[in-house]
Amino acid sequence: MNEIQQEPKTIRESLLAVFTLKELKLKEIVLMSMLGVVFGFIYLAFYFFGQGLRNILLPIGLAPFAYEFIFGIWFIVSIVAAYIIRKRGTAFWSELIAGTVQVLIGSPAGPMLIVSAAIQGLGAESAFWMTKYRNYSLWVLVTAGAMAAVFSYAWGLYHSGLIALAPGLLLATLLVRIVSGMLLAGVLGRWVSLSLARTGVLRGYALGKEQQRERRAS
Amino acid sequence: MAEQINPAVKALTVLIPGFLLSFSFDVLTPLLFLLFLQVYVLFFSGIARKRWLLLFPPFLIAAAGFAWMAMLYTSSNFAGGDVLFSVFHLDVTSGSLVVGISLALRSLCFVSLSLLFVLTTDPTRLMLSLMQQAKLPPKITYGILAGYRFVPLFRHEFRILRQAQRVRGVTRVRGWKGRLLQVKRCAVPLLANAIRRAERTANAMESKGFTGSGERTHFHPMRVTGRDWRFFGLINGMLLVVFGLSYYFGYLRIFGIQVGG
Repeated sequence: MNEIQQEPKTIRESLLAVFTLKELKLKEIVLMSMLGVVFGFIYLAFYFFGQGLRNILLPIGLAPFAYEFIFGIWFIVSIVAAYIIRKRGTAFWSELIAGTVQVLIGSPAGPMLIVSAAIQGLGAESAFWMTKYRNYSLWVLVTAGAMAAVFSYAWGLYHSGLIALAPGLLLATLLVRIVSGMLLAGVLGRWVSLSLARTGVLRGYALGKEQQRERRAS
Repeated sequence: MAEQINPAVKALTVLIPGFLLSFSFDVLTPLLFLLFLQVYVLFFSGIARKRWLLLFPPFLIAAAGFAWMAMLYTSSNFAGGDVLFSVFHLDVTSGSLVVGISLALRSLCFVSLSLLFVLTTDPTRLMLSLMQQAKLPPKITYGILAGYRFVPLFRHEFRILRQAQRVRGVTRVRGWKGRLLQVKRCAVPLLANAIRRAERTANAMESKGFTGSGERTHFHPMRVTGRDWRFFGLINGMLLVVFGLSYYFGYLRIFGIQVGG
């Protein structure tokens, strides 16, 4: 069985494993791509939903919050993929792939979307990296969602020029985005993955195997 | 003609202004660059003018909304100058007016570049070029292309799913909870099918000898020629010229700090 992998010993080795994808099998990569396609459509739907929300909130001056409430949904693919596959680099690459797929489908955001997807993915990945890819409890998933929010916010400060906005507003929007990341990516992502595991299609992946073991034990 | 430019070089070309323009907080720099981009797109890019004039204007409204928001909530580091008017006890100063307009123009530059890219790039050629020029691993490239191929099938599947549920009398529940249930009813079967298909596709690829190794030959070789670099030079050269001009006229502001002038 090639399930037992050599643990990276140094930080350099483990970072290398994240970026080179050595541990991932082709079927796991195609799975990430398929998730990217399905969530790509969901992301696009939420983009229009956010536009609508902003138009409602614009006259009362709360427009900056429109996207923050739903921002977490854009991190969900990281959490779902990492929770199902449980290998180094899944959170990062799945988000990157989802971003690329959206560009292929024809998202107006263009190549810059791939860059922002990579940054969000790195945020989520950092949470799993800190647990050395051993812990996939709800708390770790929620932290991953929060980290993705923090990373994407830092990018927005620079790229969208949010840094020119009032500090109080920035703090408030950041907090809303973090909570959104925790709930819409962390909690919802876990729930989606578990619903999928119940259908039995994940038997070939880490999450499905864990569920089977638990069922046998009980 | 932007259509024939190598996709990886084109992506790099439109990304660099995306990074550099983020430093400027004045009005002139993004305005000049935006004007240049519009002239380029309308007369030299090969994009049908009618199509562009249909697609671009909606973003003007979004940008105006963004400018309005940025104006109302400008940080005190950026919002110098006299108070022009106030809304809901929020003062709009000349400084915040400048920042708001600058951010909106900047976002319009990004939108123009992105649309220029998206409208002139074939998805398959983009992936092949990312593999051959940007050295994206073949495993990822073909994995993404495999997923992308199933996009039309997903639409079809989604329709069948809805019909099947209606035939079986799955009723709509009103309100928030019902809406959520509806999403779940569609999302979980769609994802489950996608996962099954991913497994089958990967098996098929591997059984036909796809190893994902980087040392492979290509059926469609993507090349970078002088024309690609001329395109790169034109867009990014103009960006430098624009930065130079706004420095010369004393408008350039990097993160709210006046440079030169």
